[in-house]
Amino acid sequence: MEYQDYYKLLGIDRSATPDQIKQAYRKLARKYHPDVSKESEAEKRFKEIGEAYAVLKDPEKKAAYDQMGSNWSQGQGFNPPPNWNSGYESGDHGWGDSSNADHSEFFESIFGRRTQHAKQQSAKLNIPGDDHHAKIEIELMDSYLGAQRSIGLKMPTLDQNGNIRMQERMLELKIPKGIRSGQHLRLAGQGNPGFGSGKAGDLYLEIMMKPHTIFKVDGKDVVVDLALAPWEAALGATVDLPTPTGKVELNIPANSMSGKKLRLKGKGIPSKEPGDLYASIRLVTPPAHSESEKEAYLAMAKSFAPFNPRANP
Amino acid sequence: MNTNRSVLFEGIVVEEELHLSSTEICQACAIRQEHIQEWVAEGVLQPQGSSYTEWRFTGHSLRRAKIAARLMRDLELNTPGVALALDLLEEIEALRKQLNPS
Repeated sequence: MEYQDYYKLLGIDRSATPDQIKQAYRKLARKYHPDVSKESEAEKRFKEIGEAYAVLKDPEKKAAYDQMGSNWSQGQGFNPPPNWNSGYESGDHGWGDSSNADHSEFFESIFGRRTQHAKQQSAKLNIPGDDHHAKIEIELMDSYLGAQRSIGLKMPTLDQNGNIRMQERMLELKIPKGIRSGQHLRLAGQGNPGFGSGKAGDLYLEIMMKPHTIFKVDGKDVVVDLALAPWEAALGATVDLPTPTGKVELNIPANSMSGKKLRLKGKGIPSKEPGDLYASIRLVTPPAHSESEKEAYLAMAKSFAPFNPRANP
Repeated sequence: MNTNRSVLFEGIVVEEELHLSSTEICQACAIRQEHIQEWVAEGVLQPQGSSYTEWRFTGHSLRRAKIAARLMRDLELNTPGVALALDLLEEIEALRKQLNPS
């Protein structure tokens, strides 16, 4: 197990006052909040600083932590002495807040696992389980064709003694055709278990689509870059266009200039009213190296003598 | 940690097939009724219907409500702060799309 240097995680001295601790946490929380931050590993960092703050804002926990001394460094191997947390009362409700249940092994070794005892309650109370949220990442093709996916979810379940334990649950899931990034799938009754005869919560899965190297998705529409030579764009041509469901032949009308988009109706993401696929035209002009290439450009310049690309329209 | 294997599940696409009631939104975001009422009053969420019991929310509202709930809990933002943050986040998202279109 690795030692967690909570002061270092928050970037403060061991002598920091409660106000300084709070200020440091708030600043980092705004920076790394997964809903706000574009930093890589924002979620991991946010959890780390959340754990650090959960300890350092609480005088009792802070005292227990400080008692270990300062001769440790972040990530150093750590083995708690025997009976480390004996005599340390964790109070009657779990540590940390419910939105942040994933604590490090180090945290759990000092402050105990967040097990709640549901047994006494379950005899009298019937409480419905909470809804559970998770994100799943899909490929663009999954949305075009539909797919089947195994997902692992870490969820609290009740053991025989009525204690709540985190358990990994594998779920075989059907990804419906036409689903888009940001949409949610709801699986009724697949959330957290209820107490007593309270019914289980629902499972909500938020869909995230992995960015594709060629196809960009905008709502139901899909955009693909189409590179053309100037003569193809000016004279028209028939070219191969990659689409998510395979190559198609595309007729380029004459004078299809850079920045124009050609629409393939209904070839976007499938749905009752399917999206469209757009081929976004980009002109690629070859450099002139050989004499004949230079001559071709010169001839072009001659033919287009009045043309000035910098003239105001 | 044990692993359970289970059958094939088929979910419902919230955005296309469902409109969530106020109770369902509260349950989904683990928040209290007052928050939903405050957020609707502030324009954070714009449900159809005219009263708490009649309100119906879209999947887009669910997404906003989830973020609102987390911002409120994690950063202790008040309702106007949540409203501002959500609007700015959506604006940033739209601008990023424009920056990186095709």
